[in-house]
Amino acid sequence: MSEIKDTLIPTELEHEVKKSFIAYSMAVIVNRALPDVRDGLKPVHRRILYAMNELGMTSDKPYRKSARIVGDVLGKYHPHGESSVYDAMVRLAQDFSTRYLLVDGQGNFGSVDGDQAAAMRYTEAKMTRMAGHLLGEIDKDTVDFYPNFDESLMQPTVLPSRFPNLLVNGSSGIAVGMATNVPPHNLGEVIDGTIAMIDNPDLTLDELMEHIQGPDFPTGGIILGRSGIREAYFTGRGRIIVRAKTDIECCPQGAAASSSPRFPTWSIRPA
Amino acid sequence: MNKDDLHNSSAISTHVDAAYDEKQIQVLEGLEAVRKRPGMYIGSTDHNGLHHLVYEIVDNSIDEALAGYCTHITVRIHADGSISVQDDGRGFPIGLHPKLKRPAVEVCLTILHAGGKFGGEGYKVSGGLHGVGASVVNALSSHMEVFVYQDGKIHHQSYQRGKILNDLHVIGETDRTGTTVRFWPDIKSDSNPDGIFEEGTTFRFDVLRSRIREMAFLNKGIRIDISDERVDPAEHKSYHFEGGIIEFVKYINKNRTAIFPEPIYIEGLKNDIAIEVALQYNDSYQENTFAFANNVRTPEGGTHLVGFYAALTRCINDYGRRYKILKEADSNLRGEDVRESLAAVVSVKLREPQFEGQTKSKLGNSDVRGAVDSMVHEQLSAYLEENPSIARIILDRSLGAARAREAARKARELTRRKSVLESASLPGKLADCSETDPAKCEIFLVEGNSAGGSAKAGRDRHYQAILPLRGKILNVEKTRLDRVLMNEEIKNMITAFGCGIGNDFDLSKLRYHRIVCMTDADVDGAHIRVLMLTFFYRYMRPLIEKGYVYIAMPPLYKITKGKMERYVYNDEALEELLDEIGREPKPELQRYKGLGEMSSEQLWTTTMNPETRTMMQVTVADAISADETFTLLMGDQVEPRREFIEQNYDLVADLDI
Repeated sequence: MSEIKDTLIPTELEHEVKKSFIAYSMAVIVNRALPDVRDGLKPVHRRILYAMNELGMTSDKPYRKSARIVGDVLGKYHPHGESSVYDAMVRLAQDFSTRYLLVDGQGNFGSVDGDQAAAMRYTEAKMTRMAGHLLGEIDKDTVDFYPNFDESLMQPTVLPSRFPNLLVNGSSGIAVGMATNVPPHNLGEVIDGTIAMIDNPDLTLDELMEHIQGPDFPTGGIILGRSGIREAYFTGRGRIIVRAKTDIECCPQGAAASSSPRFPTWSIRPA
Repeated sequence: MNKDDLHNSSAISTHVDAAYDEKQIQVLEGLEAVRKRPGMYIGSTDHNGLHHLVYEIVDNSIDEALAGYCTHITVRIHADGSISVQDDGRGFPIGLHPKLKRPAVEVCLTILHAGGKFGGEGYKVSGGLHGVGASVVNALSSHMEVFVYQDGKIHHQSYQRGKILNDLHVIGETDRTGTTVRFWPDIKSDSNPDGIFEEGTTFRFDVLRSRIREMAFLNKGIRIDISDERVDPAEHKSYHFEGGIIEFVKYINKNRTAIFPEPIYIEGLKNDIAIEVALQYNDSYQENTFAFANNVRTPEGGTHLVGFYAALTRCINDYGRRYKILKEADSNLRGEDVRESLAAVVSVKLREPQFEGQTKSKLGNSDVRGAVDSMVHEQLSAYLEENPSIARIILDRSLGAARAREAARKARELTRRKSVLESASLPGKLADCSETDPAKCEIFLVEGNSAGGSAKAGRDRHYQAILPLRGKILNVEKTRLDRVLMNEEIKNMITAFGCGIGNDFDLSKLRYHRIVCMTDADVDGAHIRVLMLTFFYRYMRPLIEKGYVYIAMPPLYKITKGKMERYVYNDEALEELLDEIGREPKPELQRYKGLGEMSSEQLWTTTMNPETRTMMQVTVADAISADETFTLLMGDQVEPRREFIEQNYDLVADLDI
C-alpha cells in the first residue's frame, strides 16, 4: 500500500509522559510495592494467602504443589508474571527472610547464602498456623471484598489480621518517589505492647518501649545503640547499625573461616 | 481611560488625504501582501503564528527595555480573545515623520519594515525573529488600537486590518509614559470567512507564559506580568529575575544536583555584540544548553554556540594541561566530554542577526563566533584560575565523561564487529518489512515476546516491521552512554532504526518514518511507554520533533452480546456502548490486559490496520519544560518526584491493576 491514512490524535509529549507516569507510579504505590498498615501485606502476598485459604491448604492439611498455588493466584487474582508470585511465596517460607513464617514450605526453599529455591514444580507448601491467624475470620463478614481483574471473583481488600503483622514481620518495598522499610519485631513483645496500649490508650512512647524494645531480626544480630530505634519509633525514620556475630574456626591450611554466623540478612536491601 | 472606547467616527479630512494619497496606497499594498502570504512573515497561520503576533509586540517593549527606558511590561489576554501589551517605556514617537509627514507611530504600525531598528541609531540591539515588526501584527488583526502615553497626554489611534480608522489624536491626560497596544487577531469563522488564522485558534496561556518567562530570564531586571482574563478567577503570573540567565541556569538545574553552588557567569560587549553566558555542571549525564540570539531561541545553534563550545573545550583542556590533571600521555578532552552534564545558557544580542536553516533557527553571523569565543575564553580561564576547587570538580567530571566515551566507543565497535561476522546487521528479533522506502515503513515496538508473536502474524509484512522488546527497558536518564549502549533492547532499537544516536544521529538514515510504541493497556505498559519516550527524547530527539513517534491505542474492552462484537478504547465509550445496547441481559465483557490476549487478527483490526486504527502522534511544544519533566520523573532526585506525585495523583482516574 502506498498511502497510510489513519486517524491520528496529536498528543503533547509532556502531557503523555506525565499522565502515563502518574498512572504507573500511583499503581505501584497503592497497589504493588507498599504494604497495607492493617495486615502488613502487599497485594501479591494477600492474594497468595487468600488463594491458599480458598484451596483449603491450612496448616492441618497435607502439603500441596507450589505450582497449584501459583497457578490459582495467577488465574484468579494476580494477572502478572508467574515468577513474581512464586518469588513472593518463597520469601514467606524462608525462615531467614520472614521472622514468623506465613507459608510452610516443603523442599528446597533456598538458603541464606543466596541459593535459589527449587522450581515450583518441585516444591510443596501450605499455610502456617501463623497465617491461619490472618485469615481465621475471613468468612465472618469482617473485611470488604472487591472484584478481581475480570470481575468473576471477589478478593479481600485487607485480611482480618489478629496480630499486628506489619510490626511483627516488617516489610520493605521500593515504590516510585517513596519507599518503606519496617523491621520485624518479636511477637511476644508486640502483643504485650498492644495489650498495654488497649489498657491505656494514652500510653507514651517510653512506656510502650518498655514492652517493645526494638527490632528482632530473623537471623539475629546485635543492634548498636538505642537512639536509632527511638528515633525510628518517634519520627518514622531512623537508622540502626546492626553487628553480626561470628565464630572463627581455623582451617587446616591455616586460613580463617567463619561459621554459624548471626548476621542480619534482613537489613540487606532486597534486590 | 476606557481602552475599549473606539474613537473612529471622525472621517479623515480631505486636505490631509490629498497630501499622502499615493503613499497611503503604497502602505496598503505592503500590508496587503502580508495578508496574502502571512506564512512569509509569521511562519504559519495556526496557533504558532498567532502567538508570534504577541512576541512581535512584546519584542518592541523588550527593545525599549534594552535601551534602558522600560522596566515593566504587562501582557493581558482579555476575555474577548484580544491581547494587550503595555510597557512603561518612552512611548512610540509621535512627531511627524520627516519624509512621510505622518506621525511616526502611524508609520511604524502601517508601513512594512518601518521602525527605529533599521537605522541602527534608535536601538543598539533589537529582538524579533524576522524583525517584521508591529505593522504585520496590525495587518493580521481584525482590529488594533495603540495608546501612546507621552508628555502628559494620551494619544490614540485605531486600525482595521492594517487600515487607519482615525488620525492620531489626544484622548486624555496622563502622568506616565509608555505604549499600550491591543489587538484582535483576525481569526476565520462563519461570520468572518476572510480571516487569516485557522478557525478555532486561540491564545494558549501556557505557551505564552513559558515564552514570557524565557524573556524575563534573558533580560534581567525587567518585570513582565501576564494574565489570562478568559478564565474566572483570572490567572496571573509575574516574572522578574534580578539574576537573569544565572537564575535561568539554576532553574534548568532545579531538579538536579549542581556540583558547585553558583553558576559561572560571563558577560561583556565585544564588537557591538552583547554577550552573556551562564553555566553550571550537574550530576546528570545530559547536556542542557539553550542558546539565544536577540531573545529568540536558536534550537539549531549557530555561530554563538560554536564559539562558546570552542572556548569551553579549550579552557578546560588548557587548565588540565597546565596543572597536570591531564597527563602527557592523555589525549585532549573532546567537546562532548566537557559538555556532558553541562547546563548553560548562551545569549547574544547584536544589531543585525541573520538566521539560517530551514526553520530560521540558527544564527549565521560569522563575526559572533570569534567574539563569543575570545570573551568566554578570557573570562572562563580567569574564573578557573581563581576557583581551583571548582576547576578541579569540572575537570574530574569531564575526565569521567571521557572514560565513559572511550568505553562506549569500544562497546559500539563490538556491536559493529559482530555485525560483520553475522551476515545481516539487523537484530535477530526484528521482523522487518519488505518495503525499502522509509517514508512508507512503520515499526512497531512491542512489549514482550508474547505480544510480538501475534503482532508478527497479524501485520502487513509489506510495510510493517515488528521489534519485540523484553520487559522494562533501561531508564536512560539515570544511565551513562556507555551503559546505555550495552543494553540489549536499546542496541536492538538503534540498529533497527539505523539512524544512530546522540551526536551521530542522522535522520536521513532512519529506516522507518513511523515508530509506534505498542504496549499493553495497563500501568506497566504506561511505564514502558515513558521509558521509551525518555530514550527517544534524550538520544533521538529529532524523531519526536519531526513527529515520527506514535503511540498505538489497543482496545481496552471487547463486548459480546449475541452476535454483536465491539471493541471499546476507553471507559467513557464503554459506558456509552452499554447504555446503547442495554445492560440486560448482561453483555459479555472482556478486559484486555495485554496485547498477547488478542489473536493476531484481532490485533490487526483493532490496533494495526491503518484503515481502522487510531494512533496518537507525539508532539513537543516546549523543549525546556519537556526536559524538566524528564528530569523530574526519571532523574535520580527522589524528593521532587514525590512532590510531583502528591500534587498530581488525581491525573489518574481509575487505579486498575
